[in-house]
Amino acid sequence: MADNGTGASSSLNSTLIKPTNLECKNLYDYLKTRTHNVLEKLYNHPTICLAVYRELPELARQYVIRILFVEQPVPQAMVASWGSQAFSKEHVYVSKVLSELCVWQEANIPGGLLGWILLPTFKRNLKVALLGGGKPWSMSSALEADSKARDVSFLDAYSLERWECVLHYMVGSQQQEGISADAVRILLHAGLMRRDEEDGSPVITRQGFQFLLLDRHAQVWHFILQYLDTVEQRGLDLVECLTFLFQLSFSTLGKDYSTEGMSSGLLIFLQHLREFGLVYQRKRKAGRFYPTRLALNITSSQNKGGITADEDTHKGYVVVETNYRVYAYTDSNLQVALIGLFTELMYRFPNLVVGVITRDSIRQALRGGITADQIIGYLRQHAHSQMIQQETKNPLPPTVVDQIKLWELERNRLTYNEGVLYSQFLSQADFNVLKEYAQSSGHLIWCNKEKRTLVINKSAHDDVKKFWKRYSKGN
Amino acid sequence: MGPPKRYGSKGESKSKKRKKEEEEWAYVEEEDTNDNEGAAVVAAAARDAEKNDQNIQEDEFGAKDYRSQMSLKPDNQSRPLWVAPNGHIFLESFSPVYKHAHDFLIAISEPVCRPEHIHEYKLTAYSLYAAVSVGLQTNDIVEYLKRLSKTTVPDGIIEFIQLCTLSYGKVKLVLKHNKYFVESPFPDILQKLLKDPVIQECRLRRNLEGESEELITQVQDKKIVPSFGAKPSGSAETPAEAAPVPDDITNFYEKIDNEEDEEETNLETVSFEVNQEKIEVIQKRCIELEHPLLAEYDFRHDTHNPDINIDLRPAAVLRPYQEKSLRKMFGNGRARSGVIVLPCGAGKSLVGVTACCTVRKRALVLCNSGVSVEQWKQQFKMWSTADDSLICRFTSEAKDKPMGCAILVTTYSMITHTQRRSWEAEQTMKWLQEQEWGIMVLDEVHTIPAKMFRRVLTIVQSHCKLGLTATLLREDDKIADLNFLIGPKLYEANWLELQKRGYIARVQCAEVWCPMTPEFYREYLVCKTSKRLLLYVMNPNKFRATQFLIRYHERRGDKTIVFSDNVFALKHYAIKMNKPYIYGPTSQGERIQILQNFKFNPKVNTIFVSKVADTSFDLPEANVLIQISSHGGSRRQEAQRLGRILRAKKGAIAEEYNAFFYTLVSQDTMEMNYSRKRQRFLVNQGYSYKVITSLAGMDDEPDMMYKTREEQGQLLQQVLAASDIDCEDERVPGEGGIRPGANRKSGHMGSMSGADDAVYYEYKKNANSGNKHPLFKKFRY
Repeated sequence: MADNGTGASSSLNSTLIKPTNLECKNLYDYLKTRTHNVLEKLYNHPTICLAVYRELPELARQYVIRILFVEQPVPQAMVASWGSQAFSKEHVYVSKVLSELCVWQEANIPGGLLGWILLPTFKRNLKVALLGGGKPWSMSSALEADSKARDVSFLDAYSLERWECVLHYMVGSQQQEGISADAVRILLHAGLMRRDEEDGSPVITRQGFQFLLLDRHAQVWHFILQYLDTVEQRGLDLVECLTFLFQLSFSTLGKDYSTEGMSSGLLIFLQHLREFGLVYQRKRKAGRFYPTRLALNITSSQNKGGITADEDTHKGYVVVETNYRVYAYTDSNLQVALIGLFTELMYRFPNLVVGVITRDSIRQALRGGITADQIIGYLRQHAHSQMIQQETKNPLPPTVVDQIKLWELERNRLTYNEGVLYSQFLSQADFNVLKEYAQSSGHLIWCNKEKRTLVINKSAHDDVKKFWKRYSKGN
Repeated sequence: MGPPKRYGSKGESKSKKRKKEEEEWAYVEEEDTNDNEGAAVVAAAARDAEKNDQNIQEDEFGAKDYRSQMSLKPDNQSRPLWVAPNGHIFLESFSPVYKHAHDFLIAISEPVCRPEHIHEYKLTAYSLYAAVSVGLQTNDIVEYLKRLSKTTVPDGIIEFIQLCTLSYGKVKLVLKHNKYFVESPFPDILQKLLKDPVIQECRLRRNLEGESEELITQVQDKKIVPSFGAKPSGSAETPAEAAPVPDDITNFYEKIDNEEDEEETNLETVSFEVNQEKIEVIQKRCIELEHPLLAEYDFRHDTHNPDINIDLRPAAVLRPYQEKSLRKMFGNGRARSGVIVLPCGAGKSLVGVTACCTVRKRALVLCNSGVSVEQWKQQFKMWSTADDSLICRFTSEAKDKPMGCAILVTTYSMITHTQRRSWEAEQTMKWLQEQEWGIMVLDEVHTIPAKMFRRVLTIVQSHCKLGLTATLLREDDKIADLNFLIGPKLYEANWLELQKRGYIARVQCAEVWCPMTPEFYREYLVCKTSKRLLLYVMNPNKFRATQFLIRYHERRGDKTIVFSDNVFALKHYAIKMNKPYIYGPTSQGERIQILQNFKFNPKVNTIFVSKVADTSFDLPEANVLIQISSHGGSRRQEAQRLGRILRAKKGAIAEEYNAFFYTLVSQDTMEMNYSRKRQRFLVNQGYSYKVITSLAGMDDEPDMMYKTREEQGQLLQQVLAASDIDCEDERVPGEGGIRPGANRKSGHMGSMSGADDAVYYEYKKNANSGNKHPLFKKFRY
């Protein structure tokens, strides 16, 4: 008799069940992972202070404004008393945010109380941003009028084309223009693509698929963050780049800015931004550049980017029918490829693609790491104007939405328990005894009388083993 | 639920696989082995545009890439459709010229799916044949298609249209003044036909002295298109909105529109008379010459058959779509044979009655059950001036005196009955066979097997045939046969549009998922026989869901019908819940009593019925339908059942939905697949099924049955003890066929001799196996 059948049946490891998803950081998430030094340096620039201030939670902004002109530390208890007791949770949260961003610091008040005081650099520069003063931007130095000035629509088209170039590359559609090795490196670094094991060519990852389904604003922001991670390896100064990025985000669309006075590092940075379509330059040495819509408000968090997102994405082009047909009014390979991620494409006309959502096509997408919500979100975001007119609230047929979700749930119908298999009992009586014991203690997961096998909760394995030893000795 | 599963990956095997899947699902509805199709057939009719795109490359995403086949027109925004090289047409329903395009496409193609925004149609040989027979010309079809299309029309499609239409519909066989004429507006075609020696023989020459070989030329007099009943007020077309419509579309549309009406006014036709005895010979010969004769009935000039004295009542108001469908039938002042497809509850009977009143000749109405015979009689009395003396019923229960009547209502099985009849019935049959019927109305025409239909045709002589149905589809694809036995499809209504205008009820379709209880599911997995069916139908969770839904709707004051194909389940559910039920063996009298109670008795709000109630039970009160077991993956049954609750409900406009259609399926069983397949037709009509995974409030409901393990265990015992016959769906004589192969049934002797409601039924195979295309089977030989 042997109970040594301890074949661990938990071969399904947990990563299978919970796939890693694309992590979308907003400005706060990004900055809080920077070191204190970097933050302090950043706060030397009024633009950054303003951007950070804007992104703070409402309560935090309230606090900052109240103590902006107070020169001594303010007792923490006093700050807490500004809000009602009912919202103490919010208070704790914003206090944490403010500390993590180094917007304020703890300070001792004579008398042993703890107090808050704004970081002096932040305070000084936020005042500049709010009240005016300070130095003018280097890039806004006077320029003669551009003889070949570019208008907004041109810039929009340009930025769109550049950005889609990157996306096209990711989808691997054939009619792409190449993108620079640098950009490829960023995509690889960000985990959006990885090198194929066989031929080393980059292929898209599950995170990459999720990235494609984000709205444009979120895509750019995520991409730039990943880029900033690699900035220092390129010998560029992170603070300098960030500062420039923040300045860009406050610039005016359709206005040209001078490159004069920019450091060589910054000029390289500018070239990169140019490649991704965040700025437009006629020539590398043109001495002037135009920020595009992609760069504007880049730092504001995703949900507020709605205003720009509406303008820069195409008009809705997808019609979803109750019979699961998908009609996409598009001739763009990129959009076709995206639709193709979760539909079975049938016909392609010059300006229309016909596809159908099937269980298999959705499951394939789910396997690729896309979630049902992302698919639905994408369809909703790009819904054709006809669909929006019909039902004001929900442009998609509710049955299709439900079904996609059900297909996702379908994959999660199994629950996993780690267990230990007991088998090869010599007699039915032995089996019964152990089964009774496990059952009474509530650790029995599964048993089969005919084959005399049991599966017992892994945590209870030691306990059951001990019991078994005692039992067999007793016999 | 949802769309079809995708099999395999890519490549040309896809279509094959899809087809295979279809076959797997297909439930054998009719064993018809005498069709050696594909042998000697008329070239064009066998063509299938579907194959036209076989060598088209797929793009990188697996879609068929048509971009090289067509170029986009610069003003594509204002044109409504795309034409794919394989005959599929996509139409924007929000286009300003939708109305024009819609009417046109209905005439020339089959609707595939018509949901909210973009509709799909398909060009087929049959649909083009239908287009020609209602008077459209090849050039007009091609030209208009070109104008409506956003892109250039692929050459293959134009070729296809020409092939299918050029030789069809050019020659007509007309009966007027009691003489048969072969008539055509194209003298050269007629000349060509006359060169054929066989046809020459059939020609009837009145003047023996070789007066001339001249054809009779005549300019047709102006025909008045009959108007149907009282017109609804305010049907005047609203002027088109300011949306930019290319001129060529509107102009052309008007032209075609007018043509339909004026076509006959100044058209010169040539004709020759045919010897009446040789009608069949000439029909056969013309098919061989690829000029099939279209039969039209010039009922106005038929003096041989007496007019009957019926008219529509002034109160009978035709809805626009009913009028449109009739106009297709009587478009040129003559009656064409064909099929009109309207959803259940949209007023098919009124269309039939109006057609009879228009022809005003002796009329024969065929339907498929005794109950619907009664209902047809009611309809005639309601809408027309016919009274009891004019209407004669001929069923096994009611045999009115046929002599002197104008309208005979009977069932298919009465006519095709082969066994001995009573003397009385024999007399009626004899009379029936002697008559020359003016019009024959075939109700629920899709339900009868082609064989039976052919029998009807050999027995009854009629000048024109009108088929009425809600769903022109069969799982065995034999529908094409019917199409041509009767005539082309004349009109098919759009369900969603009728629903929007309130002509039919707005139905909320829902699929309720009932998890199998562990005990039942274990048995289900172990069990390999037909008992599986019983296990998932008798799933206690399903029972409880049914009980809950019935109670919920009874509280709301709704009238509920519960459908179960399985008799064991039907009885068990009904008896357990103490509700009346109707199934095959229920007698006619009891049926009518139950139905009357359901209609008028406020205490009877729920009835259980088997598949006998699928068609033709007119239950205008019912607005909730619960389906607990169904006939495999039959799309038709699903649509028919939905039809039971489609009749427009009064005074419920305020609510979003005024009828409910529940399908209960046991999770993780075959039923899920069946139900997905069943729903495909309705989904294509624009219906959407809401999936309900749990019924809110069911657990709080008191006195629910099968709540405890013990009760469920007892139920399981009962199910396991049931005999094999109980496990099968009910067979309705005259509808089902035998499944291929032998059927072994275990049971006791009693069931062999007719106990257990077993019905002995003989299925004969037709020995006649000519190499004839289904297109032309309508001709008897």
